[in-house]
Amino acid sequence: MRALSAFSAKGEEFIPPSSKDFVLPPIFGDNAFTTKPIFLIGLSVILISVFFVLSARKAAIVPSKFQFAGELVYGFVRKDLGEEILGHEFKRFMPYLFSLFTFILVNNIFGIVPFIQFPTFSRISFAYVLGIITFIVFHYVGVRKQGTVKYVKDILFMPGVPKPVYILLTPIEIATYLIVRPLTISLRLFANMFAGHLLLMIFILGGEHLLQGAIGLKLVSPFAFAFGIALTFFEFLVQCLQAYIFTLLTALYIAGGLADEH
Amino acid sequence: MATQNPREGALYSILGYMLSGLIFWGGVGYFADRFFNTSFLTLVGLLVGMGGALYLVWLRFGR
Repeated sequence: MRALSAFSAKGEEFIPPSSKDFVLPPIFGDNAFTTKPIFLIGLSVILISVFFVLSARKAAIVPSKFQFAGELVYGFVRKDLGEEILGHEFKRFMPYLFSLFTFILVNNIFGIVPFIQFPTFSRISFAYVLGIITFIVFHYVGVRKQGTVKYVKDILFMPGVPKPVYILLTPIEIATYLIVRPLTISLRLFANMFAGHLLLMIFILGGEHLLQGAIGLKLVSPFAFAFGIALTFFEFLVQCLQAYIFTLLTALYIAGGLADEH
Repeated sequence: MATQNPREGALYSILGYMLSGLIFWGGVGYFADRFFNTSFLTLVGLLVGMGGALYLVWLRFGR
């Protein structure tokens, strides 16, 4: 993010935040692996591990507050995303679904944590990687469950259709399973984080710019800040929702592979 | 999709099908247009893709 002092000169033209603001310079030298998002990813892994190890270490029948918080999150993923969608086979997939949910959630919430303020998934490659992992997982599950031939045949040839129609339908099925699914799941996460961060930057930086303008503009700037704060809460909602949706879709895709007829 | 949460599952699957139908057959139409120097095949492709996708959705969720 651009430093706030960038607008110190009076009467300077307001430079609206753009996609360039998401390209952060490396912190150490010009090593591309030392940018802020990379560190945030590492930080999120540490935070999540420490939190859940601590909350599960002294697991007791009467839970401490810490354990209660950890179990609340786990219980939510397990019940709403695991059991509800995957049925009796859900336990095998809980490690993946749970890690996915907490990982995305923490990285998204970084977008509104003071001094961090950067949602990692507003860099698209991170979202792509998660999309690819989910893509591999759900195809692997389907192949293992139904056998390669049956799985591929079920995808390509919908039963109960006259043969010539397959020319029309099979490409659509292939495109859905191989391209559209992993692409949309990644893009949905990326676009929401990107747009949300851009929106916050516009209101906060805009408010800051107005504050340095003429007296009339100074009077307006609190409204920009107030809106920025309101949008921050809205962003929090979006961030939680996107973590949920990504995990939900992963669970749904896995369920599709598990189902015998599709 | 034999999910116990069919409403949400159906929603995203339908979106996926519509998108793939439009992209694939629209794309075929677009390149056919470039190849034959015509201008109506993109539209035909989009309509075919839409129809195919709707048919697939009906096959999967409507029967």
